[in-house]
Amino acid sequence: MFREFKSIYNLNWIYIFILFIIFWIGEINLYSAAGGSLDPWASNQLIRFLFFLPLFFLVTMLEPKFIYNFAEIFLILVLIGLITTLIFGYTGMGATRWIRIAGFNLQISEFTKIALVIFMAKYFHKLNAEKTIGLFKSILPLVVSIIFFILVAIQPDLGTAVIILVLGLVVIFYAGIKLIYPLLSLGIILSISPILWTFLKPYQQNRIQIFLNPDLDPLGKGYHIIQSKIAIGSGGLQGNGFLEGSQSSLDFLPEKETDFVFAIFSEQFGFTGSIMLISLFFIMFLIPVLKTYKLTQVFNKIILFVLSFKIFFEFLINISMTIGILPVVGVALPFMSYGGSSLLSNLIICALLLNFMSINEKKRMFS
Amino acid sequence: MEKNKTSEDSIKILNRRSFIIITVGAILSFIVSLRLFSLQVINFNFYKKKSVENKLSVKLTPPLRGEIYDSKKNLLAGSSSLYEFVVFKNLSKDHFTEIRKLDSLIKLNLNFSEISKQLKKYNKYSGYSLSRASWEQIVEFEKNKFLFNSIKIIESKKRYYPHQNFSQIIGYMGQSTQSSELYSKGVFHLEKSYEKHLRGTPGKIFSEVNAKGKTIREISIEKSIKGNDLDLTLDLTLQNYAQSQLPTDKKGSIVVISVSDGSILSMNSNPTFDAQIFEDRENTKIKDLLNDDQKPLFNRAFSGFYPPGSVFKPISALVGLQRNLIDPQKEVFCKGHSSLADRNYYCWKKEGHGKVNLKKAIKESCDVYFYELAKKTNIDDIASLSSNLGLNKEYDIGLSNMGKGLVPSKKWKKAFLDESWYQGETLITCIGQGYNQTSPLQLATLYSAILNGGKYPIPKLDKNTNTRFTGKLLNNEHQKIIINSLNAVVQEPRGTAYKLSISNPGYVKIGGKTGTSQVIRIKESERKDDQYKSKEIDERFQDHSVFVGYAPYHNPKYIASVIIENGGSGSAVAAPIAHKVLDFAYKNNV
Repeated sequence: MFREFKSIYNLNWIYIFILFIIFWIGEINLYSAAGGSLDPWASNQLIRFLFFLPLFFLVTMLEPKFIYNFAEIFLILVLIGLITTLIFGYTGMGATRWIRIAGFNLQISEFTKIALVIFMAKYFHKLNAEKTIGLFKSILPLVVSIIFFILVAIQPDLGTAVIILVLGLVVIFYAGIKLIYPLLSLGIILSISPILWTFLKPYQQNRIQIFLNPDLDPLGKGYHIIQSKIAIGSGGLQGNGFLEGSQSSLDFLPEKETDFVFAIFSEQFGFTGSIMLISLFFIMFLIPVLKTYKLTQVFNKIILFVLSFKIFFEFLINISMTIGILPVVGVALPFMSYGGSSLLSNLIICALLLNFMSINEKKRMFS
Repeated sequence: MEKNKTSEDSIKILNRRSFIIITVGAILSFIVSLRLFSLQVINFNFYKKKSVENKLSVKLTPPLRGEIYDSKKNLLAGSSSLYEFVVFKNLSKDHFTEIRKLDSLIKLNLNFSEISKQLKKYNKYSGYSLSRASWEQIVEFEKNKFLFNSIKIIESKKRYYPHQNFSQIIGYMGQSTQSSELYSKGVFHLEKSYEKHLRGTPGKIFSEVNAKGKTIREISIEKSIKGNDLDLTLDLTLQNYAQSQLPTDKKGSIVVISVSDGSILSMNSNPTFDAQIFEDRENTKIKDLLNDDQKPLFNRAFSGFYPPGSVFKPISALVGLQRNLIDPQKEVFCKGHSSLADRNYYCWKKEGHGKVNLKKAIKESCDVYFYELAKKTNIDDIASLSSNLGLNKEYDIGLSNMGKGLVPSKKWKKAFLDESWYQGETLITCIGQGYNQTSPLQLATLYSAILNGGKYPIPKLDKNTNTRFTGKLLNNEHQKIIINSLNAVVQEPRGTAYKLSISNPGYVKIGGKTGTSQVIRIKESERKDDQYKSKEIDERFQDHSVFVGYAPYHNPKYIASVIIENGGSGSAVAAPIAHKVLDFAYKNNV
């Protein structure tokens, strides 16, 4: 099940270093969100991180074969978890997203993303892809993606559900579906989007309308976006400086420790800091992706590419939300938003990425 | 895990797809960066301003209002402390229960539904004033203070008017209708017109607030600047004395002005009111006042307009002299009436004055002399001289509801009644009846104009304004003749106010003119059999009693103009009052 311990030296320590830096920026940010206090967020998040760290290294040492073999089991476990959430989960802020396992509130939908990617990677690997993949072979992964999308969307958690669907589609695209199908489906989705609109819950419709024009409701639903833009805009080129963000310290920014952490960061560190953060995440995205070019096994390639993409994609969605170019859909900023499930699932993803990056296909063949 | 012999081609496709997705990711990152650039660099100033607006709160502190004094620095309007029960929502969750508790402990008769409506609008850190607190209520509250966490007694300032006889000049304060203004402002008379002068500059407390409006720290404080004081020309003792001389059961007014500079020394109107009730929010008294059909808010000195009666006659005489229509020595025979176009115009003295020259006509107030003069006179000359001598004018001295009155002319009648002028109307205008409408302040000014020789000082209330003169110079000879005649009214036997000299020889010697202004016209038939004298006339139809006098008569310093509504003849009622007031002013050297 596990590799030899010495293979830990083969891990990409640059990647680990970047990961730790981003987490540390997140810690500093949570510290400033609390007005210069470790309590309540920064300390809790650090404790979680340290608690998850052994698990993180354990995952880096897993045999890829073990992961490959248990791909379907993971997916079934996640499916059970999601159904359990819907039945027994506890409700907060109008949504049933969490279940209690061993004293932790777990958001199964976060882990769904990993299981789904692993499952689909195995599926396409087994297809023994010759040339491009036709529509028929893509139907099973598509259906699976849509089932999970629906299971999460009815919690309701539209943000996570959309991410799940996008990841499924990215796998299918990356695995080499004929280009005509994605283009065709894009056309169809655009043309039926008015019908989809009617399926959205009123609060979701509301969020989208207010996203399009926040001034519709400056003190209500539009307040988040307006205040977030003020925080970011007032950061300017250089930022107001560490702990000098008034939008944050004076509580004008709602949900500042979760969905809007980027606004706090940007208010303090400005455009310069924001570009540096984007660059860090982009480098973090590219390191595993570049490795894929050296690999020939479809399973390995998909895991590395799509999971790395997942972190970067969530990062982009989150900051797009805070700067008002996407509606507020509740996607966490990886390693920076306060929250255990997101941190744990992203750490597992990074561990998987490190694990797969250390694969030397020439030396260690699948046997 | 089976190793697939994946073809070179399919690997190439995956790598190509990977490149596409990376490119899309890079483009999205670029769009995000552009957006950040737009927010943080291009629109930085806009968002910075918004951010500062968010956190900066400016709280105004009301300035102390300027005080109002009389000419001898006696306080007429100042500020005094006021205590209020104020509720702060942030201090207790049970603030509404506490309000009810307070209401049952101290009978405040609060309107709970209104309070709860207002409280919802209030920021929880700025207090809401529930009610004024009297000393007894404060004592009661202090005894039970432990019951109330959210209610405090807060001190603020209210306007204080020590002398109620000035309410009709100084006016009063009211709640500002604009919610942006925190404090009350003047809404009537001088408090209103001198608002800017008196108000001062509010102080500002700049503080940083959080999203809930709680003050985090004070950044800076600008102190409020007290408003300017206002010194009036009025004299406290004279104002109080004159008010005491007005019959309490009659409506009326007394105005005393200074001949040399037009200063208004006292200006009374009866009935009057107490402006303090507005400051003390005595709602029942305010309601009674507003509904009082005696109209105590109405200052008759400058808002009350009456036919001047015989006090108008000097104007007619001056027109006659200026136009050479009369020779002052030439006598006219008064047989009790004069005729024009088959109509009789009666003198007040039914048996007639006999031979009358100008001096006697003024002294004994012979109407027939003026009828004869009027027959030769153009009404427009009367109107134009009236305007030159201070009538038909509003004085801009800061009083609310000051009117212009009316001096009739041909043009006026055409414009307002759409009729042409009849000479008969000139006859009654010349004796101060008819369309003529003047206020007591205007009549005082008219006599000031005569005594000053035509160029007269515009009446003033603000002691620190310069004296401004207006009007046209009169012929010196004409002025002397008129003043001589006016002196004779009081000083010579058979003068209509000669009685004043006899009954009060110790008083200052004055000159002046009596007037009796008719409220209803007496019918010809009633006049013939003396019906109108014996008849019980309803009081509100009785004549107004008018007198305008000046003292001392040889070197006039003061002018008093008195009207007593429905008081009867000028000589009997208004003249003795004017004499007393002039004597008081003279002896006290106001």
